[in-house]
Amino acid sequence: MTNQYYEFFCPVKVIAGKAALEHIPYELTGLGAGRPMIVTDKGVRAAGLLDPVIAACEESGLEIISIYDDVPPDSSTGVVKDIAGIYRREKCDSLIAVGGGSAIDTAKAVNVLVSEGGDNIAEYSGAGTIKHPLKPFLVVPTTAGTGSEVTSVAVITDTAKSVKLPFSSSFLLPNAAVIDPRMTLTLPPHITAATAMDAMTHATEAFTCMAKNPLSDAYATAAIKKISTSLLEVMDNPKDSDNRLELAQASTMAGIAFSNSMVGLVHALGHATGAICHLPHGMCMSLYLPYVLEYNLETIRAPLGELLLYLEGPEVYAATPASRRAEASISAIRKLRDELFKRCRLPRTLKETGSVEEHQLDTIAEMAMDDGSVMFNPKEVTLEDARAVLRRAWA
Amino acid sequence: MLAKRIQPMAFQARRLYVELMFQVMGRALQAISEVDASARREARGLPEGFLFEMMVMPDGSRLIVEHVGDGRFHYHGNSAPRPVDLSIRFKHIAHAFLVMSFQEKTSVAFANDRMLVDGDIGYAVRMTRILNRLESFILPRVVAERAVKEYPSNLRLPEKLLSAARIYLKVASNFIETVRA
Ligand SMILES: [Fe+2]
Repeated sequence: MTNQYYEFFCPVKVIAGKAALEHIPYELTGLGAGRPMIVTDKGVRAAGLLDPVIAACEESGLEIISIYDDVPPDSSTGVVKDIAGIYRREKCDSLIAVGGGSAIDTAKAVNVLVSEGGDNIAEYSGAGTIKHPLKPFLVVPTTAGTGSEVTSVAVITDTAKSVKLPFSSSFLLPNAAVIDPRMTLTLPPHITAATAMDAMTHATEAFTCMAKNPLSDAYATAAIKKISTSLLEVMDNPKDSDNRLELAQASTMAGIAFSNSMVGLVHALGHATGAICHLPHGMCMSLYLPYVLEYNLETIRAPLGELLLYLEGPEVYAATPASRRAEASISAIRKLRDELFKRCRLPRTLKETGSVEEHQLDTIAEMAMDDGSVMFNPKEVTLEDARAVLRRAWA
Repeated sequence: MLAKRIQPMAFQARRLYVELMFQVMGRALQAISEVDASARREARGLPEGFLFEMMVMPDGSRLIVEHVGDGRFHYHGNSAPRPVDLSIRFKHIAHAFLVMSFQEKTSVAFANDRMLVDGDIGYAVRMTRILNRLESFILPRVVAERAVKEYPSNLRLPEKLLSAARIYLKVASNFIETVRA
């Protein structure tokens, strides 16, 4: 008998498909809530994405009590405190996050304050500090990538001390994730590509890293199949709502996979690069993915080879000898990146980003070594290894 | 009837073994920080006075080491002079036994949800690397001896304790040999 052991947890109700937004009133009432507050950002509002959400609620007689639309790209402790103040003043009783990673993380943190009390979110940072279920909370993702709607973590920047505070508790999870194709229909091409590649990385790392397990494997492979099939379709036809929905679902599925089996070196390098060079997360994921897979190759040959079926379909899988499948999976990912580069210039090397300088590589490597994700990488990463991967990703 | 009597003794042996190994690990962490350049380089990334604890939940054995500066650790035994900065907690003694008997690597135990981290995750990653380094010193010979493969439920106390003590000595002497070599 092996020592294999795993845990898998996802209590988030997924409400997905055409007219999914119209289920919000029913869901909230079912949770005993009637005075929701929307947490979102200016971009979402400007894109007109709030309108269908508000319309769906008002048509059912559910009034949105308050809308906070000023969440910054990096959620901060001050913003969380302000929103919690408004929530209390307006006597709201539930939260709807509409947006990407930062709106969702902000709403998670606001929910902690308005449920547990207090003004200082920093007091709840870490693991295991939240002991009770929080207020009714729905998430409507507007990007198809982060998977934050199904993860039990949030990161909030403490602006005063300029540190990133991690929060981790299963109580942070929303009651439901509402996935409606209307919400991602107008996502610009380069964001569509970068966020989809983030989801692709979540699924690929979940499937090849140390904490992989049979349940997260099922979500990961299904997500990879959807992204491989739908991403280029959407790039060519941005209004294709069927394929938009496929990407949105894939993102949630990849989120479920990685929140149960963690991610590895791609994320460690990506987090460090994002912090030092201010590049978008999805772009970093797309950039590093093949280089890290090449680095991990001999440790992950079997699972990576299996992924060829989901990346390229049964014909290619069957025609490729088992011993070549892992390499073929990496080529498939490289091919996809080349196509994305053609369509929206999504960079494939650090040089192509135009925002990274060669002398920064050592700093990135050092910072990546302190990232939590590095722990779950299938191969034990040394500082030298991280440097070598970065050098290969340079140009 | 017999099973009932043996079981608590087996549990007792496991507890003693984990406690012994915590002592070995604590001393070994101090030793490795004195002789191994790579462990010391990792440890330098920790703040001076940083207290690290490894313990078994809810209130079992524990080991506490302090980073006293320049990558050196000081082993404090099982009591901390002040609140610890980073705590790695095994959810159950059985999981601590898996790791302490080298059936499961620390990093694998993390991946398998065997333990919880309380504190800065960056420091936890660093400590895991140091523990892995420690294991790589200790592991090969113990495995070669096949001293502890899987915990045998039919093992009676004296035998078990004896072998635990043997392993304890072996690990300690192996460690010193390897490090000095
Ligand atoms: Fe990601």
